[in-house]
Amino acid sequence: MSRDVRVCVLRIEGTNCEEETARAFREVGASPEKVHLKQLLHQCPKDMARDLSSYDILALPGGFSAGDYVRAGAIFAARLRSALSKELEEFVRSGRPVIGICNGFQILVELGLLPSLEGVMSVQPEAALYVNDSARFECIPTLLKHENEGSCLFTRTLPKGKVVMFPCAHAEGKLMLPQEREPALLKRLEDRGQVVFRYVDPQGRYAGYPWSPNGSISSIAGVCNPAGNVLGLMPHPERVFHRYTHPDWTRSALDPSGDGDGRAIFQSSVEHVRSQR
Amino acid sequence: MIMPLDHLMSRRPVPFELFDIDILSAGDAELMELSTKLGLNLSVDEMRMIQRYFAQRMRRPTDVELQSIGQAWSEHCCYKSSKKFLRDHIFGLSHPDVLAKGDAGVMAFDKDHAYALRIESHNHPSAIEPYGGAATGIGGIVRDVLCMGAQPIALVDPLFFGPLDFAGELPAGAKHPKYLMGGVVAGIRDYGNRIGIPTIAGGIWFDERYAGNCLVNVGCIGIAKRSEVVRNAVRGTGDVLILVGGRTGRDGIHGVTFASAELHEKSEEESRGAVQLGDPIMKEPLIHACLEVNSKGLIHGMKDLGGGGLSCVVGEMALSGDCGAVVDLDKVPLKEEGLAPWEIWVSESQERMMLAAPERNVRRILDVFELWDVPATVIGKVIKEQVVRLSFHGVQVFEMDLDFLTKGPEYCRPTCVQEPPALIQEEFPQLPRELTSALLRLLSDHNIASKEWVVRYYDHEVRGNTVIKPLHGKLGLRGPGDATVIKPLDDSFRGLAIAVGVNPWFTSLDAYRGGQASVDEACRNIASVGGVPHSLTDCLNFGNPEKPERLGEFREAVRGIGDVAAALGLACPSGNVSFYNETAKGACLPTATVLGVGIVNDIRKCVTTDLKQEGDALYLVGDTRQEMAGSALFRAFGGRGGDVPGVVPAALSLSMGCLQECMERQLVRACHDLSDGGLAVALAEMCIGGDAGVNADLSGMAKLPSAVKLFSESHSRWLVEVPRDKENEWLQRMRAPSCRIGTVGGEMLVIEDKDVLVDVEVKELRRAWSEPLWKVMG
Repeated sequence: MSRDVRVCVLRIEGTNCEEETARAFREVGASPEKVHLKQLLHQCPKDMARDLSSYDILALPGGFSAGDYVRAGAIFAARLRSALSKELEEFVRSGRPVIGICNGFQILVELGLLPSLEGVMSVQPEAALYVNDSARFECIPTLLKHENEGSCLFTRTLPKGKVVMFPCAHAEGKLMLPQEREPALLKRLEDRGQVVFRYVDPQGRYAGYPWSPNGSISSIAGVCNPAGNVLGLMPHPERVFHRYTHPDWTRSALDPSGDGDGRAIFQSSVEHVRSQR
Repeated sequence: MIMPLDHLMSRRPVPFELFDIDILSAGDAELMELSTKLGLNLSVDEMRMIQRYFAQRMRRPTDVELQSIGQAWSEHCCYKSSKKFLRDHIFGLSHPDVLAKGDAGVMAFDKDHAYALRIESHNHPSAIEPYGGAATGIGGIVRDVLCMGAQPIALVDPLFFGPLDFAGELPAGAKHPKYLMGGVVAGIRDYGNRIGIPTIAGGIWFDERYAGNCLVNVGCIGIAKRSEVVRNAVRGTGDVLILVGGRTGRDGIHGVTFASAELHEKSEEESRGAVQLGDPIMKEPLIHACLEVNSKGLIHGMKDLGGGGLSCVVGEMALSGDCGAVVDLDKVPLKEEGLAPWEIWVSESQERMMLAAPERNVRRILDVFELWDVPATVIGKVIKEQVVRLSFHGVQVFEMDLDFLTKGPEYCRPTCVQEPPALIQEEFPQLPRELTSALLRLLSDHNIASKEWVVRYYDHEVRGNTVIKPLHGKLGLRGPGDATVIKPLDDSFRGLAIAVGVNPWFTSLDAYRGGQASVDEACRNIASVGGVPHSLTDCLNFGNPEKPERLGEFREAVRGIGDVAAALGLACPSGNVSFYNETAKGACLPTATVLGVGIVNDIRKCVTTDLKQEGDALYLVGDTRQEMAGSALFRAFGGRGGDVPGVVPAALSLSMGCLQECMERQLVRACHDLSDGGLAVALAEMCIGGDAGVNADLSGMAKLPSAVKLFSESHSRWLVEVPRDKENEWLQRMRAPSCRIGTVGGEMLVIEDKDVLVDVEVKELRRAWSEPLWKVMG
């Protein structure tokens, strides 16, 4: 029997997708634990203290950490950076999978772990997830085309070009790169295989609003670092772990209790960890 | 804030604000002046009862004591005008699955689990400050469910506004409906999305009679292990009282007394401070911490601080445990220095809960709250005597018998009921020659048109358990849904179907039938997705109960709800009454909102409203009658009189039973209930979601004028898509009246009844239905 795949589902006040994120990892056979940041900082009773290095996967779930009253994800990122940046950088360098979904993606960008244009973790954010073009919170289904060539640890079981449905629910999801260097940086992301998902319409064409709910550069919905072990994406794969939470499952002949499109993300990363042992 | 009546109020020589009030010698005029000046909102008879209580004790009350009574005896807290009618028609509904009736009702879900449900209003605060009023409404209803030991899993928000393009004269001080709707929706969005509880159902209703009287109803459903359902009570002496959550401040003072009076032009100026300030990022961890200490078995009781704040929660928790309490007001964590003891005692500051726990568990409880950085403070303890005593800076500022304080007065006020419109000859309106244009007009009516503008603002999928969403149909097309379904447990396919029912127009014409309508609509919505109606919670929004015709509407609506619920065997373990939704320009439409919850045995068999397959048959289930009064057609085109639709519970019950059986056997591909706009609108909506046409022929229906067949709003009816190869089995099992009215196919909706009545492209239906709210709200 192989050792458990231990997943740290990290949260603070206002993180609110930790239940379903932990459940998704549990259902693919991993051992997730919901961990408060203060537990990693040992600001808690002794028996509750945890160390980041003891986990195999780090997941930053969605939500409104600390209320997102500043830029989305900025406060959680600042707390992580001030207390834990060395451990985080070490975790990423060791090649262990890190995923940020929605608010988690915003945190990874604020932390400088994504898009990782220069080095593993930049001192300043290199990109931004800006207010949606519609200026609205958008809770809608979105279609994503898988664009990664195989470097991303979270999408290895998805063929390139496959279109999946993960729903969105955010107000700040428009990926922006520094304007003056935008074309060059976008090309670098593409050249290094960092674009993982793009929003498409039902015909499979790269999409504008509303199929891209935010107006993101080049319709990008998710990116990974060059090594492929850090993934950030705005849509929520954990919300479509089963077919019966797809919005149109009653129209489909597929078994409603069968796999949803999101399962692949959790499955791939856990399989990767197992394969490394 | 207080303008001392110098001769009656004497300030005590203590280092804080405390007044002794000489009501013993006061005459009626002075008593009323005191009631007004102190913001107590009590009547002269009530003031006299207080006078007698203190005369017997031969002492003057403090301002803290009078304020506390003002809260406890408000209409909002003690239901003094409504209790009699609720007892006559609702409280007696018994059901074996009711596990608890506390701040929320608790019902059995399966052998190990329970669900909690409650709906209430936050009307007055939202009329003054729509964003904050609606947000704190959500906050309050979430605490009601939480304090039963349940994890909140769904929010439901029925909202009622004046017309968005209202150009008439608003009552003095009232805000424009469009502004109110924008603020209320944003408040629900920002609070609900942040605490991570999906907002999954609700609705928006528009009518001129809500201009100046907007209604914001907020509902919440929760799930708990049966073994962890907790009482809103102390267990006994030895328990301490632990106040957890937000700090206490001057926000939300006199919220309940404000809610128990009519709004007027000075309401904003006088009562802005009655609107609380919400903080979802205090609430979110508060939920985690409260559920954790409960599931660890560390607490004996839990109750939320809502209307009346500490003054209500301490007394009610203690008395429910047959005890009393002593509280040290110095211990209460404050937002600012310098609050008078009465302010601390009645403040309705948000995000607070009270825990009762044995002293030995205090350390472990505080540790849990500490991890989440949520304040938790022991502020008092339970005593045997059924009395509450408060001290502040070592001075006793309050001592009252709980029996007197919490019992409150109860009235049997006069009622008067208007004649139903059936006695008025029906005047059918002049309709356009092309009924297609009448249908398009109804689809664009804001009461019927798509609410996608709102739905997309709310996260309806957080927690990952929303199996049937609020909007149904082909990806990206988003037709309407009837009920939303949540799958609350990881290891079970059992689900909860959640839906709202209310028809204020029916209620205004015939309150009894309006009450019936609310229950029928909630039930048929639940049946539509494959649920079996199980329980109801009602939010009854009416005008001033001191006016006999307003209270008459209330009495009849309650009777209507109670009769149908009793006939169907539904539980009604919680509810809320909101009176005084009235301004100088008149009362709101009488609005009896029902939130219904149904059990879905297997969510994999749920059904949505969108048409699915060319060639399938369409059946109409239920009887259509000439019941046009209050219908969307009559409202749009100016019809008068006639019958308000009535409910025949036995027929409703039979139809739902057969539908459920057919869904269980997967004989139903789509199902939609008939409500506003009747058959024509329901058909159009099924086409919109499914992006499919229909050829319908209504000549098989009972003999009625074509316009009645199309637009009557008779209850207990559904449209059902039946797979072509299953029609025989369907016909065998559908023992309720049903009639084949057409076939799915093409890109047009064509409806004939000897002549062609409607002939229109689905695309055009979609445009008419989808765009109106986007156009007005931007």
